[in-house]
Amino acid sequence: MLRYYFMLGLRNLRRNPVLTGLMVLTLTVGVAASISTLTILHMMSGNPIPDKSSRLFVPLVDNGPLDGYIPGQLPHDSQLSYRDASNFLQGGPGVRRTAVVGVTGAIEQSRADLGTVEADGLATTSDYFPMFDVPFLRGAAWAPAQDKSTANVVVLSRRMSEKIFGAQDPVGKHIRLFNNDFEVVGVLGNWNPMPRYTHLINGNGGNFAGQDDIFIPFQTAIRLHTGTSGSMTCNGPSAPGYQGFLDSECTWIQFWFEMKSAVERSTLQDYLDSYTREQRKFSRFARQNINHLYDVMEWMDHLHVVSDDGRVSTWLAFGFLMLCLVNTIGLLLAKFSVRAGEVGVRRALGASRAEIFKQFLTEAAVVGLAGGLLGLLLSTGALWLLARQSERYAALAHMDWSMLLLTFALAVLSSIVAGLLPTWRACQVTPALQLKSQ
Amino acid sequence: MLHMKNLSKVYRTHMIETHALRGFDIHVKQGEFVTVTGPSGSGKTTFLNIAGLLEEFNGGDYLLDGVNVKGLDDNARSRLRNEKLGFIFQGFNLIPDLNLFDNVDVPLRYRGFGTAERRTRIEQALSQVGLASRMRHYPAELSGGQQQRVAIARALAGSPKLLLADEPTGNLDTQMARGVMELLEEINAAGTTILMVTHDPELAVRAQRNVHIIDGQVSDLVRKMPTLFAAGATV
Repeated sequence: MLRYYFMLGLRNLRRNPVLTGLMVLTLTVGVAASISTLTILHMMSGNPIPDKSSRLFVPLVDNGPLDGYIPGQLPHDSQLSYRDASNFLQGGPGVRRTAVVGVTGAIEQSRADLGTVEADGLATTSDYFPMFDVPFLRGAAWAPAQDKSTANVVVLSRRMSEKIFGAQDPVGKHIRLFNNDFEVVGVLGNWNPMPRYTHLINGNGGNFAGQDDIFIPFQTAIRLHTGTSGSMTCNGPSAPGYQGFLDSECTWIQFWFEMKSAVERSTLQDYLDSYTREQRKFSRFARQNINHLYDVMEWMDHLHVVSDDGRVSTWLAFGFLMLCLVNTIGLLLAKFSVRAGEVGVRRALGASRAEIFKQFLTEAAVVGLAGGLLGLLLSTGALWLLARQSERYAALAHMDWSMLLLTFALAVLSSIVAGLLPTWRACQVTPALQLKSQ
Repeated sequence: MLHMKNLSKVYRTHMIETHALRGFDIHVKQGEFVTVTGPSGSGKTTFLNIAGLLEEFNGGDYLLDGVNVKGLDDNARSRLRNEKLGFIFQGFNLIPDLNLFDNVDVPLRYRGFGTAERRTRIEQALSQVGLASRMRHYPAELSGGQQQRVAIARALAGSPKLLLADEPTGNLDTQMARGVMELLEEINAAGTTILMVTHDPELAVRAQRNVHIIDGQVSDLVRKMPTLFAAGATV
């Protein structure tokens, strides 16, 4: 019978075309507004690495000064000092560990007339690539031994490789970077996760824009004094010179641990607690603050990757959808109320109240389906317009399959919810009264 | 076929109680053609609505083809209505958005027949009323008499045991009314029981039996005097 009711619903779309058109349009606008904002929120807050997100951890230890410290407050900064990052790299637990620092350099091309190419990138370790499932188009990451030997090796993004070497395979070739020759060991496949969760605190684009094009070993960057393109927080004095800077409590390095499983979080917490206890013997960590661990989703939440504005917009859009639903209820009431005669006839011919309920609710769902189709078109258009507003929105305003299905589900569900009251009213028709008044 | 005993129906508002039927007894046998007459407000329509399971009653018993309908829920009443009854209304009550084929199809859908059986039944029913060639037409494209024929086809398609007709010729001119009446007589001759409410004494006397209702009760006097109608007397 549902197929029959669906066909009747399709046929009845043509009945009262103005009323039907208004209903579809009302639903369409409500659904499109909700889906557009939800898509942005979904892209902002989606899990960028669902298979591993619960076992990748960012550690935060509070090496801030005692001045102005209120017990229980969060660590003074979200990055680590070189001393701690270096200690974690050498002795920390877990399957993999990596430091992440933003670097910016100029790549000198082989022909002087081609000039230099500015490139943003990361100083990190060989663990970074398998830790974040980074795909390679050519070559591979440098070897762990090259981390230790501070080798001049570099991995290029695909777009940087094509910019410098065109279609050629650059693996084994050399580029001039930071006044040194670097051997290209690998070229990444298409990889530019949004948000840029591996390096959220950066100075080249923020969470949703920009791209890292060069990747060099962390210790090589230290040896070459490349510095950082991201933020740095320094509290208290430091000894002069670069070594003095490295030994200081300045925080400028992001760090990741990869554990075997999420349950090893406690092992990592124990390690951090033991580490800070040990370090206090060297007059460090005066605040006695607790040590924090964040998995990927917690880390994005901690750094407010999804702005409150984004959430508020989504709530507002859904409020607007509610308003559209109320209007749809009114329109459906008007549309169904003129069908009392038909309800009477169908009841006389053997339809139970339940069958009438199914028929009219299916009809409401068909209106929703039409609204969903139009809503999809309108959402796509709205996202296209949003994408043209900024690079940030361009990275986010894409409709994926889940959002596409959600559009239809939301439209149909909305129309069914809107149809409940009018359908219930239709079922209350007294057939005898209607049949006589026809 | 239809047996009502001591049936009562009361309409209540917060101000008054109206006894539409009281102590109402009637027995209609299988294959009978019974007409129901009576003045306006006598309870004819209430009786027909209760007979058609479109309204509940307050007291008494009602057996339809041996089934006691008292206390049946909406689903059971709807199923019984669909399987045993056919309706013909004064206003035809065709669904204007559906063509003749789909109009006749409505009760068959609720019966759950398969596509092939529904098609056969629809074609047979429309042939029986002489409208097989117009099954893709819409009600608005037909005359009143033709529309009533479609309504009869719709009522017949499910092979009901009892056909309930409420002033089926009330909206038709004399010639069309005569045609519809002849059709009903043919249907009755083929074995279907018919219960017809009418104001028209000429039609009333054409049935095998006439039941006259006054003040919600069957009037014995008139029931036993069919010749009164034959003589052209008015009620």
